Amino acid sequence: MLNYSNVIENDKSYPGLQMREIKPVMKLIIRGKKRQFLSAVGKSLNLLLPNEANTSSRSDQLTALWLSPDEWMIFSNEILKSDDNNYNVEKLLNKNICKTNLGAVTDVTDQFVLINLKGDKIFDLFETGSPFNFNDFKSKKGLVTQTILTKIDIIVHNQDINDVNLFVRRSFSDHLFSWMNDSASRL
Amino acid sequence: MFLINCPFCGEREQSEFKAGGEAHIVRPKQPTELSDDQWAEYLFMRKNIKGIQFERWNHIHGCRKWFNMVRDTSNDEIKAVYKMGEKPPVK
Repeated sequence: MLNYSNVIENDKSYPGLQMREIKPVMKLIIRGKKRQFLSAVGKSLNLLLPNEANTSSRSDQLTALWLSPDEWMIFSNEILKSDDNNYNVEKLLNKNICKTNLGAVTDVTDQFVLINLKGDKIFDLFETGSPFNFNDFKSKKGLVTQTILTKIDIIVHNQDINDVNLFVRRSFSDHLFSWMNDSASRL
Repeated sequence: MFLINCPFCGEREQSEFKAGGEAHIVRPKQPTELSDDQWAEYLFMRKNIKGIQFERWNHIHGCRKWFNMVRDTSNDEIKAVYKMGEKPPVK
C-alpha cells in the first residue's frame, strides 16, 4: 500500500454498530471470460472464483467477490505490510493470466477503501440510504452486492452475520464515512 | 420508480440503472454510400412511442452490463428483459 494520508482516522462506535477502516489490505480486480481463465486463476491461487451471481468464495488467505459475469474482486484476508505495494498474488496472476492473454489484473488496493462494520444495526443504517432490498441478503453469509448508498457506489460483502465489509472508492470514502456517522447517530 | 430484473444480478431498483435509448438499431454496412438524410436518420432519429418500446439499459451502479428491455412506456410495465445479442422474446 502506498503512503496515502488517512481519510478515515478514527474507529466509530454506536449502540449496535461499530465502524472502522481495515488497511492495508491487497485488493485486485480480475477480468476474464474463458474457461481457461477460471481454471488458471483457481490453480494459481488455490481459490475457485464464484460463478453464481452475488456470491463470494474464500480460502485461508484470500476472498473473491463476484462483481459481474466476467469480473471479480480479490482481497487479502489478513492485513499486510504498509511499506510495500508489491504483492506475490498480483505477480502470480500477471504471469499466469495477463501474459497468457486469458484476462486482465488490476491493482485497486489504493483505489478502494475497506470499511468493516459490525453489529446488529448495520442493515438499519444501509436502509436509510440505499435502494437495495437487504431482507434476504442479511441472513446469508458470503453474499455480495454492488449498489448505491447515499448515491455513492459501494460493494457490500456479508462476511458473517452482523459482520459486513464495505468497499468504496477512496475519493468518496471521507464523505460516505461522515454520512454514515451522521446517519448512525440517528438510528 | 420501478424494479428492473437485471439478467445478471437479479431484481434491483430503477435508480441503479441508466437508460441507453432505443435497441436493435443496426449500423449501416456502407456509411459512405448513404445520403446526409439517411445518415441523420440513423444517427439521430429515434422512436418515442406511447406503448411497447424496445430499449437498451445499463446496470451502471451494479454489474455495469448492458441488456435489452421491452417496456410499455405508457405505464412502465416491463414485458421482458433479455441479454445483448439475444432475440426479443416478445413482438
